[in-house]
Amino acid sequence: MPFKKLRIEIMNRVGYILLVSGSRFNKLSITTIRELKRAFAQLEDDATAHAIVLSGYPGESFAAGADIGQMVHFSPHEALHFAELGQSLFDQIESCAKPVIAALNGITMGGGCDLSMSCDIRLASESLRIGHSGAKLGIITGFCGTHKLPQIVGKNLAREIFMTSEIYTAAEALRMELVDRVYHDNEFWQGVTAFAERIASHPLTALSAAKRLINAAEDIDLRSGCLLERETATHINVMQPLAPMI
Amino acid sequence: MPEKLCTIQSRSNGIAVVAIPGSSDASARELLEAIRRQTSALAGKDDINGLILTSSASGFCRCLIECSTSVRDAGELSSFGQQLTFSLEKTGKPCIAAIEGECSGLGLEIALACDFIVASEAAHFGFTGIAAGLIPFCGGSQRLSRLVGKSKTKELIYSGDLVNAAEAHRIGLINRLYPEGHALAETVKLIEHICTRSPSAIRIGGEIVNAGYDIDLQTACMLERDAFALCFASFDQQEGMQAFLDKRTPQFKGE
Repeated sequence: MPFKKLRIEIMNRVGYILLVSGSRFNKLSITTIRELKRAFAQLEDDATAHAIVLSGYPGESFAAGADIGQMVHFSPHEALHFAELGQSLFDQIESCAKPVIAALNGITMGGGCDLSMSCDIRLASESLRIGHSGAKLGIITGFCGTHKLPQIVGKNLAREIFMTSEIYTAAEALRMELVDRVYHDNEFWQGVTAFAERIASHPLTALSAAKRLINAAEDIDLRSGCLLERETATHINVMQPLAPMI
Repeated sequence: MPEKLCTIQSRSNGIAVVAIPGSSDASARELLEAIRRQTSALAGKDDINGLILTSSASGFCRCLIECSTSVRDAGELSSFGQQLTFSLEKTGKPCIAAIEGECSGLGLEIALACDFIVASEAAHFGFTGIAAGLIPFCGGSQRLSRLVGKSKTKELIYSGDLVNAAEAHRIGLINRLYPEGHALAETVKLIEHICTRSPSAIRIGGEIVNAGYDIDLQTACMLERDAFALCFASFDQQEGMQAFLDKRTPQFKGE
């Protein structure tokens, strides 16, 4: 089945999912979220992709949040279903066995901010405008943002971002560690592809084991995390007999 | 009278500015009691939408912890202090600490229980009690490490050193940094801005951030889903989204 809201391609072991909704800003409508789930499943299955980049490049937005026109008439029941759909996409990205890089080319608001936080690494261009406008719309986010944002920037900054509904720049996002790297606009895509290709050049077994362990570390105690690490590392390292001694 | 230790400095546009003593001869217990009474009274008032805790450049709630207290009294003081900091987190209204001077010991404990901290370049932060053999006792060791990480917290508590406002900003202890003398005025502007947003979304969002922080992702997201759905039974959601589509300013009711 073809995609209407995005396109995918694979180049130099990197799979790209590019949101192209056709309108000025990409919105996370029900259709877009369903297509994203299908696109991630497809690239996860494709052995030629070792890493996945999600972006709205070269458009103005990464994702400008949910579709308010669609949401305004939601009943609480429909809202719950919508949150479940969004959360199932984010869960799929987090449990995807390949590193997922969010390349934030521009406006990244609300659900778009949550979507970027379900990715492993966030790279931004200087045009990044990021924030959460729920309090301005009379809602909170339903896409795991209330948990992920405090984990990434700390509780106090998360509360400020939610409460003010303000839009933050790339420099501010970098200071808060909401994004990992910022590139000049004209070096952005080159920087993203080079970064993704470097990661994709590494063995996938090690990449996915690291991803799994780091995600687990967020939720479990130190001793169990170390136990898990020992077992995973033993298994992974035994499969790499030619690796240099470390 | 403990109330005099903690007064309302101003009250306008639904914002209450609570004056915390700069430094005081009162006991820690009396200070905590005064802050608890004042803040819980304000939390219960429908015409108050936001709280600012502030004090003068001389400091923020500096006091001496009596060294003569027994183990039992110290335990009780800690329990009382922890109750206060938990209740500060549960006012359901935005609560910001605006710091202009030294914010250490008990003052830092209280500031850490606010939603976040705004400070001027003249501010300093730390837990100075170690020299007298004291550690934080109102939840400060736990809140600080959740905010700035374990190793920075240990450095601050072990050394008893103060860090300046720029360093506090760098490590994420304070959210915003302003020139000397401007902390309160800027915080008033910020909270007035916040109060144009939906009070019910802020209340629910604050609760979910607090509740979700200490639990696993799956459970936290389940809570969030339910809270998100609940928003769609509110006046504020209808008004907020309709106003967005109509390109006008929303008029929230907080219900």
